[in-house]
Amino acid sequence: MERKILSHIDLYQGYVKMPKDWDIDRHQLSHDILYSQTVKKPLTFSKKFELLNNYFTDYFRVKFNLILNFKNTWGSIYKPNQSSYLCKDINEADLKNSPDYTILYAVKAKKGSCFIRIYYNDNRRKGKFLDINIEDNYFVMFPSSLNYIVSENLSDELNFIQTLTYERI
Amino acid sequence: MAHFAKIDENNLVLAVSTLDDKDMLDENGVPQESIGQQYLQTHNNWPAHLWIQTSYNTYNNQHRNGGTPLRGNYAGIGYTYDSTNNIFICPKPYPSWTLDVQTADWISPVGGAPELTEEQLSQNQSGSHLWDYDWNEDTQSWDLKDRFA
Repeated sequence: MERKILSHIDLYQGYVKMPKDWDIDRHQLSHDILYSQTVKKPLTFSKKFELLNNYFTDYFRVKFNLILNFKNTWGSIYKPNQSSYLCKDINEADLKNSPDYTILYAVKAKKGSCFIRIYYNDNRRKGKFLDINIEDNYFVMFPSSLNYIVSENLSDELNFIQTLTYERI
Repeated sequence: MAHFAKIDENNLVLAVSTLDDKDMLDENGVPQESIGQQYLQTHNNWPAHLWIQTSYNTYNNQHRNGGTPLRGNYAGIGYTYDSTNNIFICPKPYPSWTLDVQTADWISPVGGAPELTEEQLSQNQSGSHLWDYDWNEDTQSWDLKDRFA
């Protein structure tokens, strides 16, 4: 008797741990997100962002042998009591150009203010979900084919969440 | 062309980058690692002290072309930089193996695999067998295997 696993759902989470004095400039990133939303233009590719992107590509390769190719990024701002709509980052009509993985990075999110709810199916058990609390400098990565929401912002400040999508090579 | 390993604060090698020799020359035209590190900090967005020069031609603390070996081994992704001994080491293959600093390599508790006999070597050459030794962590010994079996 033998077992074969045809597919799996892999999820990764943790804090972004940068070298001393090289922390991600989250203040600048939140400013960039605010600016891009205000002028309705895509986020500009800055050295600050490159540091974050390189962190993910480097560590996923060395720790999990996952070679990720950056596809897209955008920022979202959540006002107090605001949540996201139901999101999914693949385009069912264009799977070829859709990403494999989505990373949600909490640029600025007060502890306990929100969580990410990721929906998944487990065979005939449909619509299961997992809630992951996020806070400043915390990230969650999951397959882009999954639906998710960013929960209501329970704090009295703005929450800034950066989304990064990747293709697996 | 020079090579530099990008390491993190736990000395884990995250990547290896190349650097044009001219980008690490001092005013006398002599290559300096510190200049290369500074260049990489500026252009590759990672702190200078976490770029460590590595030699493409160094393996097991020997230089392939008879030159001076540098830091034990050419760094690879997933390797560790042993700052105490100033060498790059590959991941430990088995829990019982220990580091031999002289060769910058891991060795088993009973040493290297036994030599193949003349007969086994000739069978390997003729292609009828492919004899080789595998380490058996359970028995702490080398198992002779025929890869064609």
